[in-house]
Amino acid sequence: MPELLVSERIPVRIATDIVIARRAARELCERLGFGKADQTRLATAVSELARNVIQYAGEGVCLIEDRSDGVSRRIRVVVEDQGPGIADLGRALTDGFSTGGGLGAGLPGTRRLVDEFQIESAPGRTCVTIVMAKPF
Amino acid sequence: MRIPILRLERTLLVSIQVDLTDNDAMQFQSDLVERVAEIEALGVAIDITALDVVDSYMARVINDTASMVRLLGAEVVICGVQPFVALTLIEMGRDLMGADCAFNLGQGLEILNTRIATRGDTRFNEDEDA
Amino acid sequence: MTTLLQQLLREHRAELLADWLKSLHAPWEHPTPQDGTHHEPNQRLHALFEDILTALERPPSDRFELDALDPLAKHLRQLVADQARRGAGSSETIGLMLSLKRLISKRLIEQSPSDSSGDLLWLEQVFEQLTLLAFAAFLDIREHLITQQSLSLLELSTPVLRLWHRILLLPLVGVIDTGRARQITESLLEAIARHEARVTILDLTGVPVLDTSVAQHLMKTIDAARLLGTRVVMTGISPEGAQTLTKLGIRFADVISRATLRAGIAEALLMVGQRITSIEDGRP
Repeated sequence: MPELLVSERIPVRIATDIVIARRAARELCERLGFGKADQTRLATAVSELARNVIQYAGEGVCLIEDRSDGVSRRIRVVVEDQGPGIADLGRALTDGFSTGGGLGAGLPGTRRLVDEFQIESAPGRTCVTIVMAKPF
Repeated sequence: MRIPILRLERTLLVSIQVDLTDNDAMQFQSDLVERVAEIEALGVAIDITALDVVDSYMARVINDTASMVRLLGAEVVICGVQPFVALTLIEMGRDLMGADCAFNLGQGLEILNTRIATRGDTRFNEDEDA
Repeated sequence: MTTLLQQLLREHRAELLADWLKSLHAPWEHPTPQDGTHHEPNQRLHALFEDILTALERPPSDRFELDALDPLAKHLRQLVADQARRGAGSSETIGLMLSLKRLISKRLIEQSPSDSSGDLLWLEQVFEQLTLLAFAAFLDIREHLITQQSLSLLELSTPVLRLWHRILLLPLVGVIDTGRARQITESLLEAIARHEARVTILDLTGVPVLDTSVAQHLMKTIDAARLLGTRVVMTGISPEGAQTLTKLGIRFADVISRATLRAGIAEALLMVGQRITSIEDGRP
């Protein structure tokens, strides 16, 4: 019964992996019929998250999945790393933008670009899940 | 990867075609500011038509570069921001990109020239030459 | 144990189907030979018939529940979709099912007037659920059609006019709701980028209500337009609109506002170094 949905796993280790990850996200977005604005939003969000991984954790993994169901098309991206974690999640998600590194810059911005945003962080594991959705 | 810097009299043109890594960005910024200082550039146009994603990091690199150039006394204009890149940047944060913008290099140069022509220093130079 | 109903359905399946199809006065009952497409609805009816009978043959229980992914639900939705697209009312699909119910219950009562009450109750339950499902499906489809229509209306309501060399006029017309505001933002930005205009006039004279979410999208458009390289001139903002935009923190540096479209056009022309004069003045 379950259809074979796309699922792509991209390791994030060096700067060029950021480009690979966001390109994959954009392609899936386009294939599922999202508009150009949404394609750019998701690609930017993935870029942001993948960059955080490299900057703060060194390496991680980006999982891009087609999670469409009968009601809507959905792309879910999970970005995970084994880094030190974000000490103060509340602050990292507040606008005001820590430009000089430190806390994960761009998280509040990323949250605004996508339809769903979830973050779990503890020392040793940080996992951000974002979803872009559009009704059929 | 080094980004070529083209010179057109006292104006400099750069076109960013790919995503810059940290090192690339530092290299690019120092190359550009040195060149601006060296020729006492009056204007710099930074073209980003080829970028279909500009995340907050890239926006900061571009924006920082623009402020450095301005501090060195040159006018700066950013050209070719794609419409959905612009929308995404605004949605992420209104202040990510503060410099003046133009649709393309042609319009960018036009803006630079107008601005340069109304500057006090260029008028002064003209008088001196006359 | 086989119930009376199960037995009846097994023995009289073919007759029931024939009776049912006969009772329907749907247009596809008189297929025109040159048009092959008429076969398809008939096949749909056959499939639906089989599905309904399969459901009825389940052992009776207190509650009949239908999974949304059940083939019966799927077929029913397809049928409703077909009919809604043809412009048929909801009563047509529902009448179609009720006539099947009538046929079955009639036979059931004829066969055994005394022992059929349990089966009749079950029959009632199944068809009740099916009717509800059909009705819900019908409403969904109607809603979908309405959304599509308002989308095409939206395209009509955001025309992009090249007013002058390098000046674009974007009149916004009508009531803009939250859902459409986002889309208007995107199409406006695309238009501005396509025409590479120096100045873009956003005329809001035709927008009666500027609610917070619409105003927010409007500001996003203005901010993003600046990154593209155009100056935005807003015209025709209502006093309420001005209040909303100010509360949201619009920046005066990024936008010029004029009370009327006429004043806005004059301003835009000035920005590109042009002006409108009377013909006499221009003559040598």
